[in-house]
Amino acid sequence: MMAATVPTRTNSPSWWTYIQRRKTRNTIFAAFFVLPAVINFLIFRYIPIVWAARASTWQYSLLGGYRDWIGADHYLRALEDPILLKSLQVTFAYVIVKLPLEVALALALAIFTNRAIRGMGTIRTIIFTPVVMSMVVVSVVWALILNADSGLLNALLKTFGLPKQVFLSNPNLSLPSVITATIWKDVGFSTILIVAGLKGIPGIFYEAAVIDGATRWQLFRHVTLPLLRRTLLFVIVTQTIFSFQVFIPVYSMTQGGPLDSTKVIVYYIYQLGFRFQDMGYAAAVSMILLVILLLISVTQMRFLRSDVEY
Amino acid sequence: MQKAYRKSRSWLLALVTIFGLVLAACQPAAPSPAAQSPSGGNAPSATEAKEPVVLKFLKYADPVEAIAFAQIEEEFRALDGGKWSHVSIAYDAVDFENLFPKIETSVAAGVELDLIQADGPDMKHYAWNQVLIPLDEYFTADEKAAFAPQSIEEGSYKGVFYGPPFMQSCSLMWYNQEMTDAAGVQPPQDLADSWTMDQALDAWQKTTVDNDGDGSPDVWGVRWGQGTWAGDYEQGILRRSAGEKGSPTYEGMGADGLTFQGYFDTPEAIDSMQFYQDMHQTWKVTPVEPIPNIFQSKKAAFVVYPDNIIGDINNQYPDGGFTLGVTGIPYFKTQLCHTGSWHYGISANTKHFDEALAFVKFASGKEGSRIYYEALRQLPARLDLLNELPEYDSYPQSLIKQGFEQFGIPRIQTPGYTEYQQVFAEIAQNVAAGADVAQQMTDGAKQIEQLVAKYKGWNE
Amino acid sequence: MSAASQQRTPRSTLPNRIVGGFFILLAYLLITIIFLTPLLWMIGSSLRPSPEVFQYIFPLSWRTFVPLQFTLQNFADIFGISEQGRALGFQFGRALLNTAFVSTAVVGSSLVFNTLAAYFFARLEFPYKNLLLVFVLGTFFVPQEATIVPLYIVVRQLGFADTYWALILPWYASPFVIFVLSQFFQEIPKELDEAAIIDGASLLGVLRHVIVPNARVGLLTVSLLEFQFIWNLFFWPLIATGRQELQVIQVAVATQISQREIAWGRIFAGGVVASLPVIILFLALQKYFVEGVALSGLKG
Repeated sequence: MMAATVPTRTNSPSWWTYIQRRKTRNTIFAAFFVLPAVINFLIFRYIPIVWAARASTWQYSLLGGYRDWIGADHYLRALEDPILLKSLQVTFAYVIVKLPLEVALALALAIFTNRAIRGMGTIRTIIFTPVVMSMVVVSVVWALILNADSGLLNALLKTFGLPKQVFLSNPNLSLPSVITATIWKDVGFSTILIVAGLKGIPGIFYEAAVIDGATRWQLFRHVTLPLLRRTLLFVIVTQTIFSFQVFIPVYSMTQGGPLDSTKVIVYYIYQLGFRFQDMGYAAAVSMILLVILLLISVTQMRFLRSDVEY
Repeated sequence: MQKAYRKSRSWLLALVTIFGLVLAACQPAAPSPAAQSPSGGNAPSATEAKEPVVLKFLKYADPVEAIAFAQIEEEFRALDGGKWSHVSIAYDAVDFENLFPKIETSVAAGVELDLIQADGPDMKHYAWNQVLIPLDEYFTADEKAAFAPQSIEEGSYKGVFYGPPFMQSCSLMWYNQEMTDAAGVQPPQDLADSWTMDQALDAWQKTTVDNDGDGSPDVWGVRWGQGTWAGDYEQGILRRSAGEKGSPTYEGMGADGLTFQGYFDTPEAIDSMQFYQDMHQTWKVTPVEPIPNIFQSKKAAFVVYPDNIIGDINNQYPDGGFTLGVTGIPYFKTQLCHTGSWHYGISANTKHFDEALAFVKFASGKEGSRIYYEALRQLPARLDLLNELPEYDSYPQSLIKQGFEQFGIPRIQTPGYTEYQQVFAEIAQNVAAGADVAQQMTDGAKQIEQLVAKYKGWNE
Repeated sequence: MSAASQQRTPRSTLPNRIVGGFFILLAYLLITIIFLTPLLWMIGSSLRPSPEVFQYIFPLSWRTFVPLQFTLQNFADIFGISEQGRALGFQFGRALLNTAFVSTAVVGSSLVFNTLAAYFFARLEFPYKNLLLVFVLGTFFVPQEATIVPLYIVVRQLGFADTYWALILPWYASPFVIFVLSQFFQEIPKELDEAAIIDGASLLGVLRHVIVPNARVGLLTVSLLEFQFIWNLFFWPLIATGRQELQVIQVAVATQISQREIAWGRIFAGGVVASLPVIILFLALQKYFVEGVALSGLKG
């Protein structure tokens, strides 16, 4: 969690200390910078979170309201819930496969499109179009592409003389299919963040390296990658959180099936709260997800923390 | 780092305390208390200068229905010399799939809703949770008798009537006549001769067309159900038809509304779902993964669908170009269709009960129902209206009326319907995809029982 | 001087260039096909009458993409221009304006408040600042599906339900934007702050004259992402508002799915008008991405 702190400087000149002192005097002033955001989070995010935490200790349903206070019962139930276990496995598998693929692809696309060649702005826009397409349309399109009998992908397989495949209704291929569709939809999001990061790398580093006779790979490995660490950090951290909370693509493409093979945790939470009339338990599962995400994010930030200076 | 953590604890504690206080301050949002049945007979006297009243009506979006309601509202305001002219209605119309979540959210937040559009099987759920005000005392026995008995059953909870219906439905099997003619198939036009499942399978196989012989049909034999979704409304017909009338399979659920083992997972029920699986996997008369608009865009010869398919086809082919036929619904042992009432419910949170009641009575009355029918052409739930409509005496609508009267039964009546429907939809999806049928059904019965156990004692 | 656009290929001989050009062209083509095909199919479908939408999805041919009976009926319907559209009360134009207004308002306020907060985290001294950062990030660890009901309760208690405020206020600060922006800000060399402070600039002055100009690309990027995020919100506007005057475009599109039928033609037309504005906006802003940091005068 130290990741986002101001990089410490060992060789600060004395006027820097002066500024520091001045800043200390300005602590109260500083608070005003963050206050509007903090107020927003307290009212619109923390009250709901605390509400959910409270509901997780009650037998609670949206229509029926609060029945009995049951303490930690929901959490004990979670320990023995096979569907929850399955949905955690599915979610982890989803994140572990999707995240590296998406970030690697986004990095490649960002570097590829970050050239001063005519038309690259258009290419970047094209990569971004899936991000803004509504999920109703996207899920219909992907269901048609992947359709077991008459899908586009099976037509392609056929032209190559390969056997027909069932994708979305095959428990072994449904999750990879959803991953493919969501990478396609989300990669533009990560790409433009990385492009923005690339724009922040001063060209002088490349010039120096080129003069030293660096190959393209060396440029990437020793200039681009180290200087992109901070960008990659936040792309990875935020995409991890988003991926753990994937819901709408699953809801509209597979409804969690077949055989729970795509029942990611937020889909399960939705199902519990809005369909199984058990918002208390849904809230408990959400709290468990909160703890998992907290641990993962803090770990990621420690590992990837970047205090590279240039 | 460590130090910061330790120091932070008191800080965190303070924060949590603050949240607690804020939360306590916001507490009145507790969900609806017991429905207080407002005293009737307080109808505002016509002489008083009336404050305008706006009734908030939460319903699903349907532009054609909106036209009908605008007209119903207009007539209502003109009723009895303008007795209700101070009442207007604000519609909150959300897409069909999100109506239930929106009702749940509104109830949880204590929104002052007046009217709710409630699906028949959900009525008991709403009643059990005291979301709706019982309307039994405001409908005389005669008034109730005007509605189809299936609608009365769907709209009642423990014998108490909670809300009148505004329409009904019954699924039959529709077909594209050009395709059946081409295949030399003649679907029976009399419900007494309706196909059994095996006869229907023969027709589906004959109408499945694979021009290039690549194993992917260009036209499928059948699509069992509306849209691309699965669930009790249609797959439940297939399963329940496997039992003799009155048998556990036919009933689908124990009389307590909570027992599913021995009803949902009987050998006949399992066989019927095995047949459903074979339709997808062995005989390949229906696609494993549903194709949107499949029947309407002429890629399937048969479809199991309620009567609103007529309007849909007319909409999509305004100049003709589609010859629609209808036949009885295929069955294993007992022919049946699921009825589908939608009901007016008056929210327990209403502050305008009298106005809401007056509107509901008018809208569900003969006049209101007629306006609704003329706009939507969907099977009326009022028998007095249904019996007056000449179009229900001739094909194809005559078959709907007959089917509805002869073998239309409501879906299982339990406050746990939502849970049941959710699990059954997943099972139907799994079975179509090739899962072990017996295991799906027996595990499913257990899972449903666990989920609905919370309603224990609901009908005692 | 600017960015990687200045990458010079070492050893760039003529054959190498031709091969390189060929691969770039191939990549162009591949990217276009993969990312654009669904959009083209959606546009094609929006120009068909409903029964034709899924009629030619297989076998795959040009008919899959090109309407046979070209019609603008779906668009005329959803904007309430056609008689049918007017009778059915469709107001997608209004919904688009609502969505544009709400998205702009959120991005505008978010630019102010999130920038302030990001600057706070990137530069200012404050006790327990790291804890505060966890506090900010913590808001996004709980899925919206679990907090949407209490959020609605809060918004109702404040009297904002069924108003534009309900669509704007909860989103004026975003943990994602704050986190990402603070990272962009930290990339800016601190020497620039120092120089400005020595010249007598206040904290706000540093933010305005040093940080913001140097983080233009970052600010633009997060604004775009935030804009499309708000633009594409569905469940929250559905819950928080109930009047058609407040309906946003995503909710309007969904209303074409009714209990009786799914109006596919209108859904795809709605999908087109819901996504094209953002795509066009993105395209229009590309020149700022090309210019990149060159604009800021930062020489690294």
